[in-house]
Amino acid sequence: MIGNDVIDIAQSRTDSNWQRKGFIERLFTDTEQATINSHDNPEIMIWVLWSMKEAAYKIYNRETDLRAFIPLRLICSNITENKSGFTGRVECAGKTYFTETYFNGKMIHTVALTTKNGFDNIKELPGHKVFKNSKGHPFAYIPGYTLPQPVSRSHHGKYQKSVIHPQYKKYTV
Amino acid sequence: MNHTTLIDKLKAIIAPYAANKQALSNLNETTDFINDLEINSANLVDVILDIEEVFDIRINNEEMEQMLTVKAAVAIIERKLAEK
Repeated sequence: MIGNDVIDIAQSRTDSNWQRKGFIERLFTDTEQATINSHDNPEIMIWVLWSMKEAAYKIYNRETDLRAFIPLRLICSNITENKSGFTGRVECAGKTYFTETYFNGKMIHTVALTTKNGFDNIKELPGHKVFKNSKGHPFAYIPGYTLPQPVSRSHHGKYQKSVIHPQYKKYTV
Repeated sequence: MNHTTLIDKLKAIIAPYAANKQALSNLNETTDFINDLEINSANLVDVILDIEEVFDIRINNEEMEQMLTVKAAVAIIERKLAEK
């Protein structure tokens, strides 16, 4: 299963005041706050961790059909910085989600998967290919697969990302 | 504070964060903060902090988790005000 979250940094500065009293404490655990505060750019780390939580929550919500505002139960760990962004993990209620975050200075895009491997197979889709099922979960038909594949879609400011991780068996005659 | 006054106060708190102004003008107990009002999920924490300031109450983490609808928010605020 896949989840994603995109953050437009310019839009986030209009939407949110992350320096507001109580803001960080309500969204991040003590360990996560330490990660944020020890980084050269705390603002970016706030949104990297937030996008990790959001991407993981989309899978959690899809797997469990539970809906709640649970930022402090989605616990980020193993955060490693690389040249294109960050990798990490999010744990929630005994489940582990693996994340890869792309950051280009203006936009953050995190993709979460239920498996450690598979990030190389993720594809981006045009938004118009995506439809929702009766539960409101997004899917898309893609070439080579008979069944619709689970999609995750995110929009913020001027950025929109739809991602797919084909995982069902290929149809063969 | 009566129920209608409380909902009016809550509506004023939510207004700056609600992207869907139509849903905001039709706000009622069944209104969902994210699905109907299209509040950015990162702004849910602002809604909670504003509620704490305006009503002078403290919402704990378990209560925060349920704050996705007008109905849930009103129930929590009313309980907290009664405990004061």
